[in-house]
Amino acid sequence: MTVFKTYFKIVKKYKGMILLYTILLILFSGINLSTNDNNTNFTKEKPNILIINKDENIGITKNLIHYLKKNTNTKEIENKEQKIKDALFYRDINYIIYIKENYRKDILDGKNPKIDIKTTKDYNATLASQILTRYIKVQNIYVKNMQNEQEIIKNINKSLEKQAKIEITSKINTTQIEKMNLYFNFASYSLMAIIIFIICFILTSFKNKNIHKRITISSMNYKKHNRIIRKASLLYVFIVWILFSLLGLILLKDTLLSIRGIIYMVNALVFAFCSLTIAIMISSLTNNKEAVSGIVNVVSLGQAFLCGAFVPTQWLPKNVLTLAHILPTYWYIQTNELLKKLEIINLKEIKPILLNMLILILFSILFIIINNQISKRKQKIE
Amino acid sequence: MFSHNFKYTLKILLKNKILLFWTFAFPILLGTFFHMAFSNIENSEKLKIIKIAIINNENYQKEELFKNTFTHLSDKKNKDRLFSVTYTNIEKAKKLLEEKKITGYLIFEKENIKIKVNENGINETILKNIVDEINCNQDIIKTLLNKNIHYQKIQNIITQNEVKLNNITSKNLSYTMIEYYTLIAMTCLYGGILSMFITNYKLANTSSVGKRTSISPIHKLKMLLASLLASYIVQIIGIAILFMYTIFVLKVNYSSPIPYIILLALLGSLAGLSLGISIATLIKKDENTKTGILISITMLGCFLSGMMGITMKYIIDKNIPILNKINPANMITDGFYSLYYYDTLNRYVLNIVSLLLFSICMILLSYKGLRRQKYDSI
Repeated sequence: MTVFKTYFKIVKKYKGMILLYTILLILFSGINLSTNDNNTNFTKEKPNILIINKDENIGITKNLIHYLKKNTNTKEIENKEQKIKDALFYRDINYIIYIKENYRKDILDGKNPKIDIKTTKDYNATLASQILTRYIKVQNIYVKNMQNEQEIIKNINKSLEKQAKIEITSKINTTQIEKMNLYFNFASYSLMAIIIFIICFILTSFKNKNIHKRITISSMNYKKHNRIIRKASLLYVFIVWILFSLLGLILLKDTLLSIRGIIYMVNALVFAFCSLTIAIMISSLTNNKEAVSGIVNVVSLGQAFLCGAFVPTQWLPKNVLTLAHILPTYWYIQTNELLKKLEIINLKEIKPILLNMLILILFSILFIIINNQISKRKQKIE
Repeated sequence: MFSHNFKYTLKILLKNKILLFWTFAFPILLGTFFHMAFSNIENSEKLKIIKIAIINNENYQKEELFKNTFTHLSDKKNKDRLFSVTYTNIEKAKKLLEEKKITGYLIFEKENIKIKVNENGINETILKNIVDEINCNQDIIKTLLNKNIHYQKIQNIITQNEVKLNNITSKNLSYTMIEYYTLIAMTCLYGGILSMFITNYKLANTSSVGKRTSISPIHKLKMLLASLLASYIVQIIGIAILFMYTIFVLKVNYSSPIPYIILLALLGSLAGLSLGISIATLIKKDENTKTGILISITMLGCFLSGMMGITMKYIIDKNIPILNKINPANMITDGFYSLYYYDTLNRYVLNIVSLLLFSICMILLSYKGLRRQKYDSI
């Protein structure tokens, strides 16, 4: 019991660290999960745009602005050059449309004036450009063939009103699952950091020269001692996993309580176990606590960046993903991505998922073997 | 005495592997991770070809305008190609959609057109917009035919329609650059570890070497200045290596005259150095706690200036500007950002002045804590 108690005494000492990574996870998912609610009806994506109108807000100009406001999120930003520039840089707005003075007059005179725009050139900007271009095309046609401004406006609006019917066929609620996926992907970083950091610190504390000597001369059998350490480590990993599952339950609510959600949690448990074996391996490499914190930072951050915990995997370059195959986190996140796409869940469909989990377990076994080899060699040296 | 002290501090610092890891190797590793993870982000946000299916039934064959437009938009020779279209029957289309091989499919019924998609998204919206646009053109043709304009003439009007958009966006708009700027900021502030280590080393209440040097008859200010100069130089070497690495290996674009960048890096390091000394002198705790505090302050500052998510910097700048005005990590990041994106130097100068003020404040604070220290017993 003494060993067991000491183990959790040290865990308690590092509770700040656990708290820090948990808060990071909450912050990260909090920002991403709070966006739009579940939806099985089609809602159009609306690009964020800014209109800077120097013309009088009447007639054709007014109609253009009205149309843009209906089809995009028109942002209100203080008309200061710096604020506008910043908003464009950070993609708060994707498209800026500058309507010049005398725009309406020029149009009615049949001049087809230039419109200045600024664009971020991404998906949303393309969308905004489509919306603007479509309007101007229609306007050009009617201006050429009609004289009366009111008639032109009426016809523009009539032609633009034609809408096709659109239906979503998928029954599963993709936005909710997307959120769950985000949560578990980022959790890989927090889980791994919390498990490796703490367990490495604890194991190195036990290996401190003086303490190690005292343990060796004590009446306790070293086999028993090691067994207790192993059990305590497993218990700690299990507690962390429970903590993260509960946190997921609070953030994701009943989405987590489906078969899909449970597989997500099982995957996380396998991953947590794998992290434990990594921690044991690292702690056999060195007894220096400062070195441990360096190694752990590189291992956990590196895997998170390269395997898609921070950046969605579809955005990662192909060669990075190929390289990531040798990292356990890659297999964990692949399972999450597969789970996200599943329409129906049956034994045949989850086969690749089980295979990924098996690879994680094989990784764990590999780490244990490496650990044994290193400790054997170290013992010989001593 | 000055040179003696300087030389030995340099030796002590360069032999401490842990310190060197955090100030030299860690930023380079982190920069490499950034590069691997973010190098593709901005490209993948550009539009890719959208895969769709069209149910090839009688109704579709009647729709000349749709047929022509989709042939045009899926033509491989077309520069503005948007779609890759599969013409098929309804069962196959359903299957393709289920397997997520296509974004959606179109069914032409007698009176209207239906679009079936899997989810909400950009591609789906673009598909809908195109269908709407063709619908709209059909309506235009109908309206103009009613006005007795010849069909061929209407066709000409529609095809010769020119939209004059004048793109005036400035060139430098790559927001992933912010990540690398925060990395430089982090390294500048992490450099504080060096000055903190050295200050601790010289303080009587934190190390035995400190006790010994304290009773030696040399001028304390001179001694401390020599040591700090050594730590500053080590710090600058670290920053210089990182700069070389980001410029030549990671191809980061600083896009401004080198003297401005060097000035910013020098002042940024000075801010890190002064932060390190002030934590070492003002906080009366053991060394681990001090390191913890320095790293927490640095990481929090980098978080607020966009390291873990670039939008965070914008959110803070927009809503709580004061928080980023006093944040040294943001002063450095924002300095690089203004050099990269702005045409004028006003914002850059503001950041330079803030960094100077920050460093002076920190040094004055620690000077007050350092001078005339006396101990009856330690």
